[in-house]
Amino acid sequence: MGGLIPLTVRDLKRWYRNPVSAVVGVIQPIFWIVLFGSAFDIAKFAGANTPAIFEGAPDYITYLMGGILTIIGLFTGMFSGINIIWDRRLGILQRLLMAPINRASIVFSRILSSVVRIFIQVAILFGIAFVMPNGLKIVNGISIIDVVILISAVLMISFIFSSLFSIIAVRTTKMETVFGIVNLINLPLMFASYAMFPPDLMATWLSNVAKYNPVSWSSQSIRMVLIHGSLTSSEAHTVLIYMLGLLALSVFMLVMTYIVSNREIRE
Amino acid sequence: MDNSIEIENLTKIYSGRVTAVDNVSLKIGRGMIYGLLGQNGAGKSTLIKILTGVLKPTSGTARIAGNDLNKDSLKIRRITGVVPQDLTTDGDLSGRENLKLVAELYDVPKKEAEERIEVLLKMVDLYDVRNRHASAYSGGMRKRLELVCGLVNTPEVLFLDEPTLGLDVTTRENLWSYIRSIQKEFKITIILTTHYLDEVDSLADKLSIIDHGKIIISGTSEELKKSLNGDIITLKLKNDDEINKIGEFKNATEIKLMENKEIRMKVSNSDEILPVLMKYLSDNSISPESINIRKPSLDEVFIEYTGRNINAEQENKDYAKFMRAR
Ligand SMILES: Nc1ncnc2c1ncn2[C@@H]1O[C@H](COP(=O)(O)OP(=O)(O)OP(=O)(O)O)[C@@H](O)[C@H]1O
Ligand SMILES: [Mg+2]
Repeated sequence: MGGLIPLTVRDLKRWYRNPVSAVVGVIQPIFWIVLFGSAFDIAKFAGANTPAIFEGAPDYITYLMGGILTIIGLFTGMFSGINIIWDRRLGILQRLLMAPINRASIVFSRILSSVVRIFIQVAILFGIAFVMPNGLKIVNGISIIDVVILISAVLMISFIFSSLFSIIAVRTTKMETVFGIVNLINLPLMFASYAMFPPDLMATWLSNVAKYNPVSWSSQSIRMVLIHGSLTSSEAHTVLIYMLGLLALSVFMLVMTYIVSNREIRE
Repeated sequence: MDNSIEIENLTKIYSGRVTAVDNVSLKIGRGMIYGLLGQNGAGKSTLIKILTGVLKPTSGTARIAGNDLNKDSLKIRRITGVVPQDLTTDGDLSGRENLKLVAELYDVPKKEAEERIEVLLKMVDLYDVRNRHASAYSGGMRKRLELVCGLVNTPEVLFLDEPTLGLDVTTRENLWSYIRSIQKEFKITIILTTHYLDEVDSLADKLSIIDHGKIIISGTSEELKKSLNGDIITLKLKNDDEINKIGEFKNATEIKLMENKEIRMKVSNSDEILPVLMKYLSDNSISPESINIRKPSLDEVFIEYTGRNINAEQENKDYAKFMRAR
């Protein structure tokens, strides 16, 4: 995979040098947490029943954290696709296609840099959630294993969506294609999941659909380690299933991206 | 093996309709500057994109330094350098960063890359602006940056697709001397496409005329001029009557009617034929609006083999195209 690291570095350079995209990248998590977490505090209605409805969370922000971390992956992932199209439009892709590198690394560098960006946003988000008044409360402590689970979930969900949008961008010259797909799938994926609301607040059919949504898997895994700290064996079992689901999907996307980008990428 | 490039029956049909490269076969010797001369849309860029692995051919193949295009694409990309017609540098990176990125993509060792980049930047007078973003370069500076991007990996074969398009006269001539010196110094094979006749005339050891995707004729500039077998006389006439009469002039080896009542006449030696022609004109009371005598030139060669003038309607298109390329 020669070219992977230099191309990733280049992509990140372009990102942090562009004041707009860098600032947006920092502000976006603030919006997420402030808007959804506090302006939108649905736990108010639950009152003392909050922990019962929100799976043990002391408040809505703490419940929401796992969902927001996942949604950042979902929405930032599209930039990997958009940047590939930009490169095609600007002619830069032609230079990369002439270079003696495995063409998959052109696409994987985009995915990698978008994963790095997502991690930076996630770190900022955590910082804000802790310091803001009535913010994130980790009541039951957090272990190394919890942190590993949290990081892996964010890693996998960002990888899955970044590669999805990259595959779409491998041949198209139109930004509209990516935006269209984003509009088509992002909101349904977000709402038909446990990212923002627990199953008890959903229509039964919706909660049944949400069960199979990877956005739910990642949200739930992160949420469970944040809320419960050390997991009981049945909780651990649930998290394990979710994580295996994410892993399987990641491996599938990895193979697909490799094959599609090697064969199909066009000038 | 003394051929650097061997192209065999190469064809490219875009989206099943446009035949951009039509069954091209060509051998290009090692260490020469080879010109591909053709008008807009002739298929030059498409041919280069195929040879550099950017596009897949519809059929046919080519060998570059012994490597098969369809099998050893990676190896070919390693030993070729390309300066495409479109800009391919990253405007968000500085000139030096662009070159560094290219060096990394070609696995040039770090130390070596740094030295080479400095030499190259100085060679094209960009050293002073090396840390400025490429988007802040002028069109000519950007084009020069493109040129050295194609040299970072010290290629065995260098493709230059319209390298001087849109450059001013001085920069063009500087670039020509760069190209010559690169070729001498590194002993590389250079394939150069252009629609500037003076460019192939001054640079190319050999050339091919390409039209509608086909190679029409190949040879050295001298050979092509000789193949015209004599000089060209063009006459602009007023009516069909005059045209019919001039058609019976016996001392021309060939007489062709061009657009706008223009007659293009080939004669073995214009110095001897001209007095005879003048007498014929006055005897038949033909009075042309203009008479023009030309010794063989690449212009004439191009008209002879394609039936069209390469410069007509070309120059104004150039500017538009150059602006688009930016
Ligand atoms: N991506 C494409 N899809 C469809 N047709 C194309 C594409 N690229 C080029 N063509 C067509 O192929 C033909 C050859 O184009 P090409 O760019 O190779 O010409 P060229 O000789 O480089 O011309 P110019 O001097 O304008 O650069 C043209 O008719 C052009 O319209
Ligand atoms: Mg071209």
